[in-house]
Parts: sequence; C-alpha cells; structure tokens
Amino acid sequence: MSTVPVTTPVETDIEPPVSLWRDAWHRLRRNRLAVFGLIVVIILASTAAFGPYLTPHDFLSQDLGARNLAPSMSHLFGTDDLGRDVFSRVVYGTRTAFLVAVVVTFIAVLIGVTLGAMAGFFGGLLDRIVMWLTDMTMSIPNLLLVVVINASLKSPIASWMESRYLATLNPIYRETVWVDFLLVFGSMALISWPPYARLVRAQVLSIRSRPYITAAQALGLTNRIILMRYVVPNALGPLIVAVSAGLGTAMVLESAFSFLGVGVNPPTPSWGNMISDGLRVWQHYPHLLAAPAAILGLASVAFSFLGDGLNDALNPRGAK
Amino acid sequence: MMMANGMRPHPVTNTGERLLDVKGLTIEIDTRRGPATVVDGIDLHVDHGETLGIVGESGCGKSLTMLSLMRLLPNKIKVTKGEANFAGRDLQKMSNADLRKVRGGEVGFIFQDPMTSLNPVMRIGQQLAEPLIYHRGMTKAQARKRAGELLRLVGIPGPEERLDAYPHELSGGMRQRVMIAIGLACNPQLLIADEPTTALDVTIQAQIVDLVKELRDKLGMSVVWITHDLALIAGLVDRINVLYAGTVVEDAPVDALFANPSHPYTQGLLASIPKLTDERSARLSSIGGTPPEPGRRPKGCPFAPRCPLVEQICHDRVPSLKGIGQAGAHRVACFVAQRKLEAASWAPNR
Repeated sequence: MSTVPVTTPVETDIEPPVSLWRDAWHRLRRNRLAVFGLIVVIILASTAAFGPYLTPHDFLSQDLGARNLAPSMSHLFGTDDLGRDVFSRVVYGTRTAFLVAVVVTFIAVLIGVTLGAMAGFFGGLLDRIVMWLTDMTMSIPNLLLVVVINASLKSPIASWMESRYLATLNPIYRETVWVDFLLVFGSMALISWPPYARLVRAQVLSIRSRPYITAAQALGLTNRIILMRYVVPNALGPLIVAVSAGLGTAMVLESAFSFLGVGVNPPTPSWGNMISDGLRVWQHYPHLLAAPAAILGLASVAFSFLGDGLNDALNPRGAK
Repeated sequence: MMMANGMRPHPVTNTGERLLDVKGLTIEIDTRRGPATVVDGIDLHVDHGETLGIVGESGCGKSLTMLSLMRLLPNKIKVTKGEANFAGRDLQKMSNADLRKVRGGEVGFIFQDPMTSLNPVMRIGQQLAEPLIYHRGMTKAQARKRAGELLRLVGIPGPEERLDAYPHELSGGMRQRVMIAIGLACNPQLLIADEPTTALDVTIQAQIVDLVKELRDKLGMSVVWITHDLALIAGLVDRINVLYAGTVVEDAPVDALFANPSHPYTQGLLASIPKLTDERSARLSSIGGTPPEPGRRPKGCPFAPRCPLVEQICHDRVPSLKGIGQAGAHRVACFVAQRKLEAASWAPNR
C-alpha cells in the first residue's frame, strides 16, 4: 500500500547515466593536442613524484674529475661545471617545478575561489571590498613584490632559524631549503589569486540568478550549503581550465624567479637556476642550457594545450 | 500503511486559526524612477487542508506574492507593508534560522520551469536527500531510501535506478515529478505550486495536476496553485482567488466562480476560454487594453480603464472585497457587482 504508483507515466526508457565529466572526457579524447598535453603532463608529474628515486646519479654529488661532459650513456644530458649529472638535476628540477606550481596554485585557488564566490554570492559591501582587494593586488608588479619579499624577509628568517638552532640544536632549523620554498610559495600565491577570484565571481554572479538557486533556498538550505553544493560545482568547468593554465604559468614563473635568483636557490635544482647557470657557458657547453630550457618549454606547451582542450571539452556550447 | 511510508496526513485541526493568512501585503520594486508598487495590500488566506487556486495574467504579482511569503524575493524587490502568518507565526518577522525550518520543512515549493529548477551537476537522489538530511536529520542511507520511496510516490518508473540520474537525463514531465517529490520530501503542511505546468505540454499538464490532486488527498496538505489557466485547475482547487494588478478582485469557491463570475475581469477571463461549441471561424474573445504598469496605477479601481461596466465611482475610489454570496464565501471587489447584488437583496419578493 505504501508503494502505490500514482499515475502511469509515458516515459520508460532508461539510459546509462552520462555525466558532464564523462561527456567532457569523450570530447577531450578526440582532441589530439589536448591528449598530447595530457600525456606530457602525466609523464612530468610522475617524474616529479618518482624520478628522483630512480636516477642513476645523485643530483648533488659532485665529480670534479668529470666536469662539463657532453651527453653520453652514463650521463644522458652530460655533466655541469661541478661534475653533477644534468639529467638527475633536470629530474629533480621537475619536482621543484611541480611542487611550487601545485602548492602555489592550490593556495591561490583556495583564496581566489573563497573570496570570489562570497563576493559574487553575497554582493554588496563584501563584493566591493573583495574587488577592491583584487584590483589592488593585480596592480602590484609581480617581480617587484617577489624581490621585495625576498630582500626583506629572507635574511631575518634565516637569522631567526640560525638562532633557534643554536638555542635548541634541533636539526630542523638547519634545513634552510624550506625557507626558500616557503618564501617562493608565499609570495607567488599572494600574486596569483586575483584571476581566480575574478573568474569565480563572474561565474557566481550568473549562477546566483538561476532558478535552481531559488529552489534550493526554498528548501531551507543554508547559504553555506547552497554556496558549496549548488554554486561552486556549477562554476567548476571554467575554473578547471584556469587551473590547468595556471599550473603552467606558475611553473614558468618559478623558473623566471629562480633564473633571476629570487626563487629557489642553489644547490636545490630548479629549471630556472639551471638555465641561469647554463647561460653563462652556452657557447662552450650548449647542453647545459638546452636540457632545462627544452623541458621548461615542453611543460609550458603541454599545460597550455591541455588547458585549451579542457576549455573546449567543458564548454559544450563552444565545441563542434 | 502511510506510517510505513513515513508520511501521515496532517490532522485537520480546526482551531479557527488559518494555515496561511496574508494581510495587506504590499510589494514594491526599486526602479530608477523610484519605488513602484507591484502588489498592493493583498489579502489571502488558506485553511487547513484547503486547495487555493490563484489566477491572473502575467505580471499581476502572483509569483511575487508567493516568493515574498518565503522571503525569496530578488534584491530590488521588497515587502513594504503587511504581514504573512503561517500557522500563527509572522513569516516576515521570523529569524532567518526559523524561516529556513519553514522553507522546505513546513512549506514545499514547486517552481515553474522544471528544466532549470534542478541543480544540473547533482544527481537527483542527492537533491531529494538534501532537505531530508537537513530538516529531518536523516543519515545519508536513510535519506536515499526515502528518496527512492518519494520517486515511486510521484510515479517515476524504476525509482531506485533513477536516483543516480542527472536532471538532463530526464524529460520535462519527469523533472517536474522530481520537483514535486522534492517539494513533498519533508511532508509539508502547505505546498505552493507556482505555475508548475506552464513549461509542459498539455497531456503532461493533466498528469501533473492529477498527481498533485492524488498526493494532496493522500497526504492531507493544503495547496496553493498559481496559474493563468482557469480551466486546468477547475477540478483541483476548492477556492479561487482572481488577481489583477496586485490585488485580489474576486475570491470565491470554485463552483460559485464558474456559475456566477461577478467581477468584470473574471467574466472576461472566463469568456476568453475557447469552448467546443464555439463557431470555428469565431474570433477568441479577449479583454481590451493592458494591465497598468507598476508605478502607474490608476487612482481608483485598477481595472477601471479596461472595464466594460465602468462608472465614475470606479475612477475615484478603490473598491474593497465584500461578500456577495451566502455567508460571504463569495467576495468581489467591484462597485458595480456589489450594487447589483444589494439591489437584488432589496427586491420586495425576496
């Protein structure tokens, strides 16, 4: 009795569920450039994750008897002026690049999505304040900010770590590599969030007026649930595209900063500081410049192709 | 039997208190030229277990009134006067937290366009479960089970499989059934249906009306059905309110309204419904003119500029709703209709 069918409806066909994502995946697979980008990104990502454990040489071990060697079977990309294996260093540089790109993009997306979604959804004064912050941040020249942060914060933090080490003798305070990363992450995230905030705000503004949002409000759901489960998921498509492009940009930016000496510092390998080192001797040992530069270019192109492919795949109206 | 389903008809309590009682509700839109009145001191009520039809043409304030009850109006539209009591509590003054409990928990909403009223990236099972988890404190597993039962209740075949479907995989009629299921999820005391059949084709329209009728009888809730189609709801509702330019111009039991439409606007609406007996070549009857724009309401009766029976008094004063039938159940806001009836009751032979 509890399961009396009320009226017999006409439709009875049941298709297997085709979700937005499955649909997008089908479209993405047909796009050759995007598939190329995806494959390169996957290879680079696995290199970043597992590569450093598999390389034949340690990226730091110097062999002064084998300096500036040309590429060979034992040193695929040759050796540098300190006799370090360039292949191992490029592999480790991949890890540096991915680490910086992923962490920076993650922080930037977190800040950008939170601020943008709230600004778009609640509007009013909050919107104005967030947009004002966004404009202000965007007006700051990237490089200048990073140089300023480096110049003003690096030595105080380093001397603080030193004094902590002397006071506690805890080896954690000896690991200055982390200071480098922290400063790079922090300063880059600080300048990378505004585009995400703007994108999400624009998306939310258009989604906010759709009937299913009113319907969700009429169900008595809280603003937090509506924002997280109804608004943000619907704004996700363009955001994924932006994130894919943003990862590539962050990698290039990291290399640029490291190239200029305000990013990741030697001896930690980064494509940027390797290019910088290679540039000084490129007439004599072109492989020292070519190897990191080629990989950086490949990564940048791959992310850009993938981003374009995702853009087409997630925008059914724009495709075909 | 119903208990097993988790649904029990509400006891029809007759405490004299109305389920929904709207008094003098006024809604204004902020325009560049200043505030414009769209709903002008509307009075409405719904009794326990009653089904009210609200009829009127586009832009007469039907939907705005209903949205305003749940404080769902867009930013630039505001309630400026009046009160709306639901089960004895003023919805306009209630705290946001209390209001959220009423929304979805005690009052269910069905919206006009099933194509855009469901979240496109959420499976329908989840959308059904949402109010159950939120209002009834169910676990996900309980809510999913109940969601399946609800889909069966609204006549969706293979309900358990459909729970994992996305809205775009369902037809319009199916989606409106899902919307109804969501509206009924928490067994509300009042279901507000805002033109739920406008976006559907005629056969599906009739199915949806029948479905709501059966569910109402089964669950014992009150229903407010907003439409511009008088004929569609004739078999569904107990009472009809005819809205014109943001005021109720006629309030009558459904039989009385069809037997004895008293406001000239109601008469015009009824006359404009094509009948089977009409000549095939005959033109459809229509009401001349257009409704007043918000902000440019006439001083007197809002219908006066279009009224065939208009008199001087209609331009000068606004008529109020007055009972004309037995026990005042049939009320009309028209000077001419009211006078006719007074004259009839003064007739010596009565």
